Amino acid sequence: MSDLGVTLCGVALKNPVIPASGTFGFGREFDELYDISVLGAVCTKGLTLEPRAGNPTPRIAESRGVILNAVGLQNPGVEHFIAHDLNWLKNKTRVIANVAGREIGDYAKMCARLDGLVDFIELNISCPNVKCGGMSLGVRPEDVENVTRVAKNALKRTPLLVKLSPNVESIAENARAAERGGADGLSLVNTFTGMTIDIERRRPVLANNTGGVSGAGIKPLAVRMVYEASHAVRIPVVGMGGITCAEDALEFMMAGATAVQVGTQNFTDALACPKIVAGLERWCASHGVEKLESVIGSAVLNGQRSLKC
Amino acid sequence: MREINATVLENCAIAPEIYSLTFALEQPVRVRPGQFAMVGVDGFPLRRPIAICKAEGERVTLCYRLRGEGTRRLASRYSRGEKISVLLPLGNGFSVAEKEKRVALVGGGVGIFPLISVLREYAEQKEIYAYMGFRSRGDVCLQYELQRAKELTVATDDGSSGFCGTAVQAFMENVERVRPDVVLACGPTPMLRALKSAAAGRDFPVYASLEERMGCGVGACLVCVCALSDGSRARVCKDGPVFDLGEVIL
Repeated sequence: MSDLGVTLCGVALKNPVIPASGTFGFGREFDELYDISVLGAVCTKGLTLEPRAGNPTPRIAESRGVILNAVGLQNPGVEHFIAHDLNWLKNKTRVIANVAGREIGDYAKMCARLDGLVDFIELNISCPNVKCGGMSLGVRPEDVENVTRVAKNALKRTPLLVKLSPNVESIAENARAAERGGADGLSLVNTFTGMTIDIERRRPVLANNTGGVSGAGIKPLAVRMVYEASHAVRIPVVGMGGITCAEDALEFMMAGATAVQVGTQNFTDALACPKIVAGLERWCASHGVEKLESVIGSAVLNGQRSLKC
Repeated sequence: MREINATVLENCAIAPEIYSLTFALEQPVRVRPGQFAMVGVDGFPLRRPIAICKAEGERVTLCYRLRGEGTRRLASRYSRGEKISVLLPLGNGFSVAEKEKRVALVGGGVGIFPLISVLREYAEQKEIYAYMGFRSRGDVCLQYELQRAKELTVATDDGSSGFCGTAVQAFMENVERVRPDVVLACGPTPMLRALKSAAAGRDFPVYASLEERMGCGVGACLVCVCALSDGSRARVCKDGPVFDLGEVIL
């Protein structure tokens, strides 16, 4: 039996498989399908100080190999989460609270409220579907550094992951900006901003017009970004973007990710996450890998010392 | 609810652009009328939410309209003996209270299929008056199922079969005589809007099954929400798909 355990920012996870924010709620619904304690951690739906209603529908569309979503951070608010879901979820596995805000001060308040209550905070500065906050704070490196510092200053106990947007000029530069701001780790990529048009109605399918693109089709873009970001910083990286199976997860880990998040595939296959855990076990066994941690960052470039991007 | 690797028994056209898919589960599941399944289509990231028309032991039948690439692929790719991934049963479904004896069903288009599951469940215990709308005579299907009703009115938009007009119009022409204790409906949003305004102020409740684009189908992703008149949002997949029509904003 191989050891699938990984250590992320000093916190031990039983395996590196984590359902991604927004695809898994707070875990209760999927726990009706399988025991979610088999997961390394759960990343919650994006939380805000106050409840949010989100965007009009349709909020989802499909294109070849990908989906687009524009849910717009609908959530019951952080207090509701703490009162109703947190203890239940903590009894299952590690908890990553994804937090968002309208302005920089909201991030500090959210972090202060959740400090010590969850295993990690994931700072959502990369949601493409909300007007204020969200991605607007996650594009320019100086904004990334600033919001990270403000959030970090509000935390005494819980490690801070900063979730990076791929809709930026240089992912390496933004990764370094988050590290300078005091991030304990990074997670990437959030969704790519996209649009799809219903040609009969000559209108975008999504009520919001644009949405975040995710799913198997974005995987090579995400692997490249995870490689670049993880080689630009010393802090650990959680990789995601189009993971559908254990082999995909291994690509991200070899590119430099300590753990991985699985999003869209939860919709395609509700049992995707436990299947990926089982697949990692099989792969380690068949490749004589005793500790899965040993594959992290093990990919070697062909004939050059760094990526030319 | 469970994710099941089912075996296709039959997948064939029953009317223009309408297919009936029957598959076998490895063991029986209890399905309430009006519940639905999320059907995986090879090569498409999103499953298709489709109402359950019939569930008999381990045999389940869904009927669907060919609407886009996904449903066309579902029709062409899955023939007898193929494996198909389904997540079911999902949603709350329709329920009829003990005291509700006279039940009117109002269905339009693919909305008739979840109502067939109501007929199969309640036809023997209740007096069911069914108003089923189709575009034209050639679109009328599954009449042998619909005839489980005490009284069946087929309506066509062009009058080529039965009542000329919509299912809602056919129902409202008979409402005083039928005096339903409850109305169960499913159909396109304009039909449900018409029913909502026609039924406003009447002394019977109307429960309608809504349609929405879905992500997970189990209540986690908040993609398929609808607005309720108290200002809150509900998940069509988990809190619905059946809602008190008086309480949803269409």
